[in-house]
Amino acid sequence: MKIEGTHQLNAPRARVFECLIDPEVLKRCIPGCERLEATAENRYATTIRAGVGTIKGVFNGTVRLEDVRPPEHYRIVVEAKGSPGFLKGSGDLDLEEANGTTQIKYQGDLQVGGTIASVGQRMIQGTAKMMASQFFLALEAEAKTEAGEAPPEHGFFRTALRWFSGCIRRWFY
Amino acid sequence: MASKYVGQRIKRTEDPRLIKGLAHYVDDIRLPNMLHVAFVRSVYPHARINSIDASEALKLPGVVAVYTGKDVAGIGPVPCAGALPDLKVPNYRVLAQDKVFFVGHPVAAIVAIDPYVARDAVDLVMVDYEDLPAVVDVEEAAKGGTVIHENFDDNIAYKLTAGEGDIDAALASADRVIKQRIVHQRLAPIAMEPRGVLARYFPGEGDLTVWSSTQIPHLLRTQLALMIGIPENKLRVITPEVGGGFGSKLNVYAEEALLGWIAMQLNKPVKWIEGRRENIQGTIHGRGQIGYIEIGCKNDGTLTGLRYNVFADLGAYHQLLTPAIPTLTGLMLSGAYKIPAIQINVTACFTNKMATDAYRGAGRPEATYVVERALDLVAAELGIDAAEVRRKNFPAATEFPFHTATGLEYDSGDYAAALNKAQSIINYQQLREEQEQARAAGRLMGIGISTYVEICALGPSNAMPAGGWESATVRIEPTGKVTVLTGASPHGQGQETSFAQIAADELGVDLNDVTVIHGDTGVVQYGIGTFGSRATAVGGTAVLVAIQKLKEKANKIAAHMLQCETSVLNFESGKFTREAAQAAVAGESTPVVPVGEAPAGALPEPETNGRSHITIQDVALAAHLAKELPPDTEPGLSATYFFEPKNFTFPFGTHIAVVEVDRETGDVKFLRYVAVDDCGKVINPMLVDGQIHGGIVQSIGQALFEEVVYDEQGQLVTGSLMDYAVPKASQVPWMELDRTETPSPVNPLGVKGVGEAGTIGATPAIVGAIVDALAPLGVRHLDMPVKPEAIWKLIRGQ
Repeated sequence: MKIEGTHQLNAPRARVFECLIDPEVLKRCIPGCERLEATAENRYATTIRAGVGTIKGVFNGTVRLEDVRPPEHYRIVVEAKGSPGFLKGSGDLDLEEANGTTQIKYQGDLQVGGTIASVGQRMIQGTAKMMASQFFLALEAEAKTEAGEAPPEHGFFRTALRWFSGCIRRWFY
Repeated sequence: MASKYVGQRIKRTEDPRLIKGLAHYVDDIRLPNMLHVAFVRSVYPHARINSIDASEALKLPGVVAVYTGKDVAGIGPVPCAGALPDLKVPNYRVLAQDKVFFVGHPVAAIVAIDPYVARDAVDLVMVDYEDLPAVVDVEEAAKGGTVIHENFDDNIAYKLTAGEGDIDAALASADRVIKQRIVHQRLAPIAMEPRGVLARYFPGEGDLTVWSSTQIPHLLRTQLALMIGIPENKLRVITPEVGGGFGSKLNVYAEEALLGWIAMQLNKPVKWIEGRRENIQGTIHGRGQIGYIEIGCKNDGTLTGLRYNVFADLGAYHQLLTPAIPTLTGLMLSGAYKIPAIQINVTACFTNKMATDAYRGAGRPEATYVVERALDLVAAELGIDAAEVRRKNFPAATEFPFHTATGLEYDSGDYAAALNKAQSIINYQQLREEQEQARAAGRLMGIGISTYVEICALGPSNAMPAGGWESATVRIEPTGKVTVLTGASPHGQGQETSFAQIAADELGVDLNDVTVIHGDTGVVQYGIGTFGSRATAVGGTAVLVAIQKLKEKANKIAAHMLQCETSVLNFESGKFTREAAQAAVAGESTPVVPVGEAPAGALPEPETNGRSHITIQDVALAAHLAKELPPDTEPGLSATYFFEPKNFTFPFGTHIAVVEVDRETGDVKFLRYVAVDDCGKVINPMLVDGQIHGGIVQSIGQALFEEVVYDEQGQLVTGSLMDYAVPKASQVPWMELDRTETPSPVNPLGVKGVGEAGTIGATPAIVGAIVDALAPLGVRHLDMPVKPEAIWKLIRGQ
């Protein structure tokens, strides 16, 4: 299944990229991520609590970053297994700078198996888009802070507020 | 036989208990100390199992045991009854060994104190899989590439060529040869009650009892005994109420053997009730063929030959009849027509999917769809009316028994009569005129016709893998109640009613005095089961002949009691009567049954003194008291008969669907639906109507909605009823049903069978109607399920 999209982040590209390769930041930004530990250079072990509709569960797996070209590109490869099935995916992220903001283009391939595939397949695209949007909202908040500064909070209400203000920004400006 | 009941619309005696919720399905049976089983199933279509770690699952409070492939190596493989030459039969173990071959493949069995704990424990079993490339497309599977079963060279389970006549010459001599690729999509049978098994073992007696929602209790007993390694006479299979089978329970499943085996390991009853997701993953699918039609015809519409090259998607393993299904397609390729030369070339392949097997129709809907679509293509090519091209190629009623180029002998038929009747009901000429007007007004209205013939009453034993006969025992108890034990295993067809109708008429007793018992190998003599529209034609005949045997004996006893010769006895309405002349002579006789002590104390003595007639109940009592029976007469009043039919039966009929396609949405709306079916003699018209209704609904499902979809990686996408679309009541049209009646000479009841007629006859009529509606756009064929999306795209020229 193909997944692609674009997100506009109100932060400079270099800082966005820095955040994108910082496991601590990623852990805070990826929805449901409970663990993201470096096991080697650009390799991480992860635990993500995620689900599609009523099919929820804990996934354990690995994340690999490839073709890392700061500050413009990397490729992310994820493999995870859990009680509702498994997921395998890879995606390319391209960052472009425009007037102090960053445009991230992503496109990837996602494969799912098990209950998630047989019950949730129709909703996966929507869920993936929603998770991507949550991720980039959180990432934007992170990128607005300076390195070393206290990280922003990413609770449900904060994320919702960011999403809402993002919508208003898009609708009215 | 006086017909007080046979031929009447008698309400099903089964229904009150079902409607009131008083019936017992497997899940309604609860035994003390019962444990529950849940299965860990593969989430991969094709993978190597590196390891299975059940330690966390075993720590969960309430989990009793976890069994994996190595624990159950002693259980025999899941059986396959296919006896084709050079058939590749993979070793189908009850739990996956070192590899999994389809999504849903059972990997481990968890036993726990309740079903919820068992289900929770499923998530705690860690299976380390190594993903392998999956074979999904059947045509690709035939070409090579990844080989699913390492011990074979390729994925081709078997190849088969069959048919009579010189097909090459027949096609060469045709004025036109029309070719078409057609798809019979995979379907899930979706019985309302999923599968369920309960097993109990008594170690002292060594008795294992397995309750299973199955269509074949006796065949299951034999196979389970072999798989588990228990003497067959120590195993009892009980089939309580079964909530639909449609062929999906005409099988022997891994879970059935596993439950029996686990009960023996733990000495406790164990139950497993299949969930709907499991049901769609791990219960057999139906259809799954992709084929190429070549039909030759003369310019006047006369058919010269039909070739059908078909790829059958068998799935990863053979279930009981998996390889046999495409051969049934081959047998029925002549349809209701005279086709001098027919050839089928089957390439049956393994794929990383659940097995296909018998689903209502089992190979025959595929054949009928091929032939009926082919006739529609001929009609469209030549510009002849769809009804006329059919009529032109029918064998006449006088040509029966009719020999087909597929090697069958059709027993009886009058195909034109059914077509005429259907056309007259629907007012065909006027309907075509209406269609012209509708088209002129820009509406997309279509008429589809199917003049099907099917093969039923399976069947002669030499054509069947495990016996084609059926058994019946009929007893009249001391109190005069009639007990019928049938080897058939009705599960919704209503034979508790229709067999009682036969028995009540034959014995002249009240319908309510007859009880039909089935589905318990501890009670009923060996039988074959209910499938292939056989139960009434074969099992009903067994009941009839058993009663006739019983009546011979009753006749002798009655004659003795009335002190006359059997030749002067009349039996009518449950009474034996001496003919008048004899009665006068015998009037002075002494009582035949002397007064004495009845063995049961309270039983009344039959009173014959001075009477010129006695009832069958009197005879039954006398037979059991056995104080004064004719010499050399066994006490008791029962008879058993095993009926072996000499041939199949061939029911037929005409279905006409009228639809309108919505130009804006691509939606299909039924305007009318007429079905004229001929299933020979009818025992109970209400039951026949019910069978036709249900069959047509499932046909609508196949034609418009249903499809088991595996994605490119082999993942099952349509894994729940959110995604697998069965028809709803609001999507089903009013059905105008009628019948013609051409008795079958194959059995004395003259019945043919009707269980699958609806799924066989209706699908091509519906698709034909949609294609006809879209004909002004140049459409000649559409593949099923014909979804609004596909039609919408067509209308928009996309």
